[in-house]
This record gives sequence, C-alpha cells and structure tokens, in this order.
Amino acid sequence: MAHAVEHEYTTTGLNHRKMLMWVFLGSDCLFFGSLIATYMVYRGQSLVGPYPIDIIDVPLTTVSTFVLLMSSFAMVQALSATQADNKKGLVTWLLITAGLGAIFIGFQIYEFNSFKNEGLTLGGNLFGATFFTLTGFHGAHVTLGIIWLLAMAYIGGKGRLGPNTVLDVELLGLYWHFVDIVWIVIFTLLYLIGGFDAGPVPIPSP
Amino acid sequence: MAHETEHTSNHPTFNQYVFIAIVLFAITIVEFGLIWDRIGIADDLGVTKIPILIGLSAIKFAIVIMYYMHLKFDDRFFGTVFIAGLVLAFVVGGALITLFIGFEAKPREYALAHAVPYEGHEAAEEHAAEVVEPGTGAETTVASGPVELAVGVVGETLAFDTANITAKSGSEVTITFKNSSANNQHNLVIVQDGTKDEVATDGTTAGPDNDWVAPGDARVVANTPLLASGASGEVIFTAPAPGTYQFVCTFPGHNFTMFGDFIVN
Repeated sequence: MAHAVEHEYTTTGLNHRKMLMWVFLGSDCLFFGSLIATYMVYRGQSLVGPYPIDIIDVPLTTVSTFVLLMSSFAMVQALSATQADNKKGLVTWLLITAGLGAIFIGFQIYEFNSFKNEGLTLGGNLFGATFFTLTGFHGAHVTLGIIWLLAMAYIGGKGRLGPNTVLDVELLGLYWHFVDIVWIVIFTLLYLIGGFDAGPVPIPSP
Repeated sequence: MAHETEHTSNHPTFNQYVFIAIVLFAITIVEFGLIWDRIGIADDLGVTKIPILIGLSAIKFAIVIMYYMHLKFDDRFFGTVFIAGLVLAFVVGGALITLFIGFEAKPREYALAHAVPYEGHEAAEEHAAEVVEPGTGAETTVASGPVELAVGVVGETLAFDTANITAKSGSEVTITFKNSSANNQHNLVIVQDGTKDEVATDGTTAGPDNDWVAPGDARVVANTPLLASGASGEVIFTAPAPGTYQFVCTFPGHNFTMFGDFIVN
C-alpha cells in the first residue's frame, strides 16, 4: 500500500493521502473555529452560575497542556524512529505518545466530573453549553488519536512499519499535532483569558 | 520523488526537536506566569495581557505547524491548503462574533427590546396568565413580549447574584429563581420601592407556612414560594406601572443583604 505511494501518478506531484490529510485538517480548522467563535459570542453571557471563575482550575490545566505538548514531542520521535528503521524505538515512542494522550484525557475526565459536581452542565447555562461542546469535541479528537496511535503501535509491533511506510506514521503525526495546536488555542482563550470571567460582564469588543 | 528524499534530510535533528519542546514548554510557563495572580504580574498588566497571551499562543501554534508538522520543509501547497482553512475559520468566527456583539455590544437588551411575540406562543401565554399571582393585575393588557428573567444566589452569602432586573410595564414577566445555596432557604418577593424591610418584618410574623410573606400584603407585587436549598421556583406576573420596585428575600434576617432593584420602564 504505502510503498506503492511513491510511484503513484498525481497531477500536483504531491501525495494524495497527504493532501487529503491537510485538506481534512484545514476543514477541521473551520469546525473548531466555529465552536470557538460560539464560545466567544456567549462569553460572559451566562445569567446563572457556575461561572468560569468559580470552577476553572488554571494550574491543573496548565499541567495537562504541558502533557499534550510533550506528546507532540514523542510523536516526532516516533516518526524519526520510523525513518531510521528503528522498529523498537518507533513502537516505544508511539506508546509514549498514546500514554501522554491518555493522561491528558484523564485530566479532562477528572475536570468534567468535578465541574459536573459543582453544578456546571451542558444545559445549565451558556458557559456550560459552549464549554462542554468545545472541549468535549476536542477530547473526542484526542481519543480518536489515541486509538489510532495504539493501532499503529500494534502494526509496528508486528514489524510492519519502517522507512517504506513512513507516510502512515507521518499522517498520524499530522493529525496528532493538529489536535495539539487546537488545544493551544482553547487553553489560551478558555483558560488563560476566559478562565477568570464572572457573571454577565460587558462583552469585549472584537 | 526527488524532493521528498531531499526534504526528509532537512527534518530537524533530535536535539532540535528537544530544543523546540523546551521552547514550547517555556512559552506555556510564561503564559501561566502572566495570569497567575500570586506572581503579581497579572494585575499590573490588566487587559494588555490578552494580546500578549494571544501572541504567545500564536507563536506556539506556528512552531508546531512549521517544525512538528514539517510545513517549513514540505511542499508549500500543503501549507496553502491548511492556511486557507485556517483563514476561512477566522473569517467565519469573526463574522459570527461581529454579528452577535455588533448591536452596541448589548445583544440581550437589543433582543429583549426588539423581540416580537410569536403568534404560536399565545396559548402558552394564556396558560401562564392562569397561574399569575392573585391581585397583580393579570387583566392588564400585555404591552410587549414576555420577559424571562433568571435570578440566583451567591453561594452561601445572603445575596442575590444580580443587583437589578428590568422589564417593560405591562409585559408578562417570568422570574425563575434558583436557590443554589446548600444550607439556606430563600424566596424572592417583589415589593414597592423602600418597603422591603417592612414587608420582611410582617412576613416574619406570618411565618414559614405563608412563605414568610404576610397574606394580602398590598406592598407585595408578586412572590415565589419559599425554596429549599437547591430548589428552583418561578413567579409569573404582569409588570406593574413604570417605576422602581425592589426584590427581596423575606426569610427572617435575609432582607438586610439579600435584595435588589426591579426596574419597570
């Protein structure tokens, strides 16, 4: 499959699968862009609590953000190991990436659970609705990435990944890094900037 | 393809990847330092920290797509496709935000002032009129669309979470009051301006069986039942003549701190 890709005929001279991944990521920008814009529109518009300042735990989320950033580092190491035909290394790095992603999801599950206990629900107020929709879809992306990583680690463990199938790992990496950069944006807007919002406040001018 | 083998050799080395990871980590620490009040920079910076934070995260974003996602080394067309999606996302987001907060930055007030009652809601309004508090002038013609207001409690402090609420005279007002306190019982009573303490005193005499409100008190416009902690209740009434009224919790002792203005215009 992948080794044949090098010889595939394309009108652009660029690999089709890689192009497809970039087009998908471009369209996913729109998906998250709309959810983020919706959050910003309703920011500070919740008439009842809990408000962000009551429940957002910035230090905790800074740690989970760090974990996700480090998983991107592990992902590029997995790609390097694949290019170097280091079969053991690529499986190890893929598993480390998946593990760090799982830790991030663990933080999110803990966060969602504690938010729920403090009264923030999807239908409770505008903050809850927009927060859970946005971060929930991001968490779903991460979860999908973890499954993909584990599947690749399994294939790698069978010795079927190497310099000929670098593209398979590279596409996974593109997806994983994209999920990371989406979180960079979410972390800044919802936690660092929006994490201290209280009740109805004057809407910030655009 | 020739260029693919070429750019592969241009990929960053292990040490460069480590360096990039350290930079990303350091930027995150700086961002955290900017907002963490115990460090003390947060207050000095005020709102100027917002563009700084956005700038820093844009740098992180750029580093990841350039190096981790190899856009710097890959064919430019991949970058073009991705950036096109990104730009489109910014345009859509910008349009959405402008649309919603362009009305003098007051979408809610704007919506309330311009809302036209939907004909299909008539049945619901008639039903609502049936449960209007007695003696509140339910017969008054509805001057404008129904107004829905929500009021809550600030934790265990004896205070409402809003200082004033507003409605148009003659409109159908529904106030949903959520008692989110874990320990205290509360109610919400709309009274004539300046009478909150007298109403509360008389309410104390009337006792909990009357929801701490004296029956037939002429100063009371409308009231919710007494709500146990965690409970929600609503009161539906027609907004009286224009002027300032008060809303207060008449549970004994609460009226001194737990009140606000109800403005009818």
